[in-house]
Amino acid sequence: MNKKTGTTLDKVQVGLKKRYAAERRFQWYGKTAIAIGLAFLLILFGNVLSNGLSAFFQTRILLDVNLSAEKLGIGENPDRKALSKADYNGVVKASLRELFPEVKKRRAKRDLYKIASNGAAYQLRQQVMANPELVGQTISVWLSASDDVDMLTKGYTNREQIAAVRRLSDQQVIWVDQLIDKDRLERQINHDFFDNGDSREPELAGVWGAVMGSFYMLMVTLVLSFPIGIATAIYLEEFAPKNRLTDIIEVNINNLAAVPSIVFGLLGLAVFINFFGLPRSAPLVGGLVMTLMTLPTIIIAARASLQAVPPSIREAAIGVGASHLQMVWHHVLPLALPGMLTGTIIGMSRALGETAPLLMIGMVAFVVDIPQGITEPATALPVQIYLWADSPERAFVERTSAAILVLLAFLISMNTFAVVLRRYFERRW
Amino acid sequence: MSLSFLFLTVALLAVFAYVFGRKQALSAANNDIVQLHSLPGYYGFYSLLWCAIPALAVLILWSIFADDVVTSLLISDLPAHLQNLPPLETQRLLTDIHLLAQGHQLAQAPDADLSAAVAHYQRLESTSSMAQTVMVLLFAIAGLLWAKKHIHKNYPARNNVERVIQIILFLSSGIAVLTTLGIVLSVLFESIHFFQKVPVNEFLLGTKWSPQTAIRSDQVGGSGSFGAIPLFVGTLLISFIAMLVAAPVGLMSAIYLSEYASNKVRSIVKPLLEILAGIPTVVYGFFAALTVAPWVRQMGEGLGLDVASESALAAGLVMGIMIIPFISSISDDVLTAVPQAMRDGSAGVGATQSETIRNVVIPAALPGIVGGLLLGTSRAIGETMIVVMAAGLAANMTVNPLEAVTTVTVQIVTLLTGDQEFDSAKTLAAFALGLLLFITTLILNVFALYMVRKYREQYD
Amino acid sequence: MNKSVLLAAVVGCLAVSAHAAERDYISIVGSSTVYPFSTVVAEQFGKTSDFKTPKVESTGSGGGLKLFCSGVGMQHPDITNASRRIKASEVKTCAENGVDKILEVKVGYDGITMANATGAVAFNLELKDIYLALAKEVPATDGSETLVENPYKTWKQVNPSLPDSKIEVLGPPPTSGTRDAFVELAMEGGCKTIPWIKAMKKKDKSHYKAVCHTVREDGAYVEAGENDNLIVQKLNVNPNALGIFGFSFLDQNNDKVKGASIGGVPPEFESIADGKYPVSRSLYFYVKKAHIGIIPGIEEYLAEFSSDKAVGDEGYLTEKGLIPMPAAERKQFADDIKNLKDLSL
Repeated sequence: MNKKTGTTLDKVQVGLKKRYAAERRFQWYGKTAIAIGLAFLLILFGNVLSNGLSAFFQTRILLDVNLSAEKLGIGENPDRKALSKADYNGVVKASLRELFPEVKKRRAKRDLYKIASNGAAYQLRQQVMANPELVGQTISVWLSASDDVDMLTKGYTNREQIAAVRRLSDQQVIWVDQLIDKDRLERQINHDFFDNGDSREPELAGVWGAVMGSFYMLMVTLVLSFPIGIATAIYLEEFAPKNRLTDIIEVNINNLAAVPSIVFGLLGLAVFINFFGLPRSAPLVGGLVMTLMTLPTIIIAARASLQAVPPSIREAAIGVGASHLQMVWHHVLPLALPGMLTGTIIGMSRALGETAPLLMIGMVAFVVDIPQGITEPATALPVQIYLWADSPERAFVERTSAAILVLLAFLISMNTFAVVLRRYFERRW
Repeated sequence: MSLSFLFLTVALLAVFAYVFGRKQALSAANNDIVQLHSLPGYYGFYSLLWCAIPALAVLILWSIFADDVVTSLLISDLPAHLQNLPPLETQRLLTDIHLLAQGHQLAQAPDADLSAAVAHYQRLESTSSMAQTVMVLLFAIAGLLWAKKHIHKNYPARNNVERVIQIILFLSSGIAVLTTLGIVLSVLFESIHFFQKVPVNEFLLGTKWSPQTAIRSDQVGGSGSFGAIPLFVGTLLISFIAMLVAAPVGLMSAIYLSEYASNKVRSIVKPLLEILAGIPTVVYGFFAALTVAPWVRQMGEGLGLDVASESALAAGLVMGIMIIPFISSISDDVLTAVPQAMRDGSAGVGATQSETIRNVVIPAALPGIVGGLLLGTSRAIGETMIVVMAAGLAANMTVNPLEAVTTVTVQIVTLLTGDQEFDSAKTLAAFALGLLLFITTLILNVFALYMVRKYREQYD
Repeated sequence: MNKSVLLAAVVGCLAVSAHAAERDYISIVGSSTVYPFSTVVAEQFGKTSDFKTPKVESTGSGGGLKLFCSGVGMQHPDITNASRRIKASEVKTCAENGVDKILEVKVGYDGITMANATGAVAFNLELKDIYLALAKEVPATDGSETLVENPYKTWKQVNPSLPDSKIEVLGPPPTSGTRDAFVELAMEGGCKTIPWIKAMKKKDKSHYKAVCHTVREDGAYVEAGENDNLIVQKLNVNPNALGIFGFSFLDQNNDKVKGASIGGVPPEFESIADGKYPVSRSLYFYVKKAHIGIIPGIEEYLAEFSSDKAVGDEGYLTEKGLIPMPAAERKQFADDIKNLKDLSL
C-alpha cells in the first residue's frame, strides 16, 4: 500500500495509537478522581478511628469500699435523702488510703486521691442509691480513675517526660504501676460514655444527652417537614397552575436549598426565639429551624419521585372516573412514596450533622441532665463535638473523636437505609 | 382547661364528626351508596373539617391575643396611682403581678393594692381560659351542626373537601416563600441599624475590615473599619481553591461512573462517595484544622515557602473534598440526561468513547455542568464550620493561598459570639454580612438554576 | 392525615410557647472564658444537691448581657458570665427592661499567658517588647519622637536578647474580651514605658490609647479564633509561633506548650495569684435578683460558687486553672452574696 496516497482507513490507522492512548488516559483520569475521593474518605475515617477508639475504654480502679453507716456519716436506717447526702467522697478516699497505708503526709495524700476520678463518689452514690442494702457492707467495686491516669495508661501521656511538665508526679506514676501489678487497675469498656450526659470530667462525660437532644430535634423536624414537604411537592407537581406565583415559589424553593445554613440560624433566632418567645436551647426550636432547612431538599426529592410516576397510571385512574385528588392520593402517591422517603431520610441525615444554625439559637450549652422532652434544654451531637473540641482537658481529645464516630455511625446507617430503600423499591417503568 | 387538653377534646370531637357525617350521609340516602353524590367518607371529612377548622382557628387566635387583652384590661382596672406609671414601672408591676399570681413569693410582701390587682388578674385569667374553652367547643359543635344541616344526598361533599385540601396544599407550599421572607426580615432590621452607624457604600466598597473598635466605653478603639471587600475576597479565594479540587475530581468521577463503570462498581462507589457529602461539616473542620493545615504548612516549609498556620489552602482543600460528591451527583444527573442517540451517533462515525464524551456529551451537558459548579460555589461561599475551625480571622486582602484569610461566615460567628456590647456596630455588622451573604448566594443560585433548567428543556 | 398532623404541630407549638413560662432549672449564659469554670460548679451543684443541673450557654459576654438584660421572667436567663465588667450602658439597658437589681460576683482571676511549643526556645519578654512587636505603630528606630508603621520582623530586632525568630503570635480576635484585656494590660503596659508616649496621655488621651491599643494587621499577629485547643495544637506544629490564651489552657497542656515569662515573672499559679504576673484580669458573673427565690436553687448555686470547696486556694476550680482571689476579697464577695448587695459601678 502506498502511504502517501493512503485511503481514509490509513489516515485513521496512523492516529489510532494516539487516540487509544488518549482513551486510556481519559479513563485513568476518571479512576484517579474516584481514587482521590475514596482516599480522602479513608484518611478521614482512619484519622478519626485512630484518635477515637481508645475513648470507648476507660481506666478503672478496683477499690474495697467500706460502706458502714458510720463511715458514710449517716444514721441507722437512713432515708433516701440522707443516702444521697452521704459522704461517698470520704469512703473512696479512705479506701485509697488503705491501699497505700505508707502514705502519711497531707500533700502526698492529696496526690494519692487524684488517682481516682472526682466522679468516683458519684458512681458509688449511684450504686448505693439503687441498692440501699449495700450500707453496712464492704464491697469491691470498679470506679473510674482520673483522666490523667487514663491518659497515662492509654499512652497519651509520655512517661519519659520530666515530672515538672507531666500532669502526674513521679510518685503518682509509681502508684499507678503498683495498682496495675496488683490487678487493681485496668481498662474496661466505657459504658459511661454511652449512658451519661455531658460532664466537665472527661471520664464521666457521655454522649447520651446529645444523642437524645438530636433525637428530639429530628422528631420535630420529621413530623413537620415530611407532611409539609410532600404537600408542597404534590401541589407544585400536580395542581399548581403555571403562573407567576407558582414560578416564584419554585425559584424560592430551589434557592432555599442552597442558602447557607448559618442564615437559617439567624432566622431561627429572630423568629422563633425573639418573636414567638420559644425557649432557647430547646430541641423544639432546633427542630423548627432544621425543618425550614430540610424542606427544600425533601420537596425537590418528592417532586422528582412524583415526576417518575408514568403518565399511564394517571391516565388510567382518570379514565375510570377518579377525581384529580383521588388519582393523586390513591395511585400516584403510593408509587412515589418510597422515593419521597429516601429524600426525607437524606434530609434528616443532613439535619443531624448540621451545626452552624444551632450556634445561633443557644444550643451550644452545657447540659448535664438527659433531656426528657422537646422543650427541655439540650445539645445535639455535632454541637457536643464542637464543645468538646474546645475543652482544655486532654482526655477530651479522644472523646471528641469518639463522639464523631458515634455521629458518623448514625449518619452512615441512615444513608445506608436510604440506599437500601431506594434499591428495594426502585422500579423501572 | 389546659390548652393541650382542649386540643385533644377538639380532636376527639373531629373524629366523632367524621363518623357522624358519614352516618348522616348514609341515612340520607337510605344506605344506598349509589344515590349519594360523593362517597360517604367525603361527607365524614366534610363535617370533620367544619368541626375542626373554625374551632382550632379560635383556639389559636385566642392563645395569641388573650394575654394582651387581659393585660390591658388589668391595667385599665388598676387604681389610679398605679395606672399612669412610666412604662418601666408598669413593666415591673406587671412582672410582680405575674409572679405573685403563679404563687411565688416576692422579697417584699405585696401591699393591698397589689394583692387586689393580683386577685383581679387571676380572675381575668380564669375568665379568659373559661371563655376560650367555651368558645372553642361552641365553634366545634356549631361547625358540626352546620355540616349536618348541609348533608343531603345530592350535596357535592367531595368537591368541597378537595377544594379545602387543595388550599392546604397551596398553603404548605407558601411556607417556602415565608421562609425567604423571614430570612430577609430577620436580618434586615439589624442591618438597617448597622447602616445607620456605618454608611452603606463604606461597607460595600471599603477595602479594609478591622473591627478593632473599643469594647468598653472608657477605651478608644484603634481603627474601626467595616469594608466587606476583603471578606469577600477571602471567601472567594477559599471557594476558588475548593472548586479547584472539587470540580475536576467531581466531574471526572461522575464521567467515569456514568460512562465507564460497570453496574457493580457504580453501585459500590457511588454510595461511598455520597458518604463524603453526609459527613458533618464540624468533622471536616476538625480534620482541616488538626490534620490538613499542619500538613500543608510542613509541605510548604519543605519547599522553602512561608505558609500561615491557617492558610486558605488548607481550608479550601478540605472544603473541596466536601463538595466533590455534590458536583459529581449533579454532573451525573446532567450527563445521564444527554440522550443515548447522541452517543450512538458519535460512536457510529468512529469516535472513541473518550472522544465522544469530550466532543459530544460534555458540550451538550455544559450548561448543566456549569450550573452545578455554580451551585457548588454557592455552597462553598456559605459553608461555615470548616472555615470557623480552620481559616483565620484576619482580613487580609490577598489572593495568595498560603496566607490566612477570613470569610464572611467566620466573621458572622465571631461577631455574634464575641464579648463586645451587643448593640455596637461590631455585632450589628454580623447581620449586615448575613444579608449580603444571602443576596450573593441568591443571585448565584438563581443564575445557576436558570442554566440547569434551560439546558434540561432542550432534550425533554 | 397530613393536615391534622400539621395542625397538631402548629397548635402544639403555640401550646408550648404559652407554657414556656415554667422553668425549674437555672439558666446561665455568657462568656466563653468563664464557661469552663461555671460548668464545673454547675455540674457539682447538680450532682450534690436536689436541684436540677443548671444549663450553661457559651454566648460571649456581650451576647450574654444582652440576653440577661432583656427582661425579668422565666424566658430570660438568671445569671450571665462575663470576662469583663458590665458597662454603664448595659446597666441602663437592663434597667429599661426591668432588670434593675443585679448582684455582681467576682469569680477570680485569669492569667493571660503567651506560650510556645515546649521544644522551642524559651521567651523572656518585657511588656515593652510585647508592645513593640505587636503594635501597629511604634516609635521610629532612629530615636525621634515619631510613630512609624511597625517595621519589626523578628524578635531579635525588637530586643537583641530575644531569639532570632519571626514574630508570629496567634491570639484572639478583636471581639474577644481576652484580647481586650491583653491589649490593655500588656500592650498599654509596654507602651507606657516609652516616656514621650506616656506624656502624650495627658495631652491627647484618645490618640495615646489608639497608639497603645491598636494591634498590627500585617500578618505578624494572627487572629486565631477562640478555640484555644486549636491554638495549642497549632503551636505544636509551628515552633516559631507564640500563642495568647488563658492560664487554664497552659495549665492543662504543660507538656505541649510552655509559658513565656513576662517582666521576668513566669506564668505560674502562685505568681498570678499574688499579682506579680502583670497580665491577669478578673472574671465576673451577674445575677438577676428578681429571680432569686423564684427559680429554685439560685441561692444554693451562689453558695456553692462562693464556697471554699470551689474557689478556695485548694478548691476544685483552681484545679481547672482558675486563679482564686485573696482570702479577704473572697470573704467580701461571699458577704455580698449573703446580703445580696446591689451592683454599683
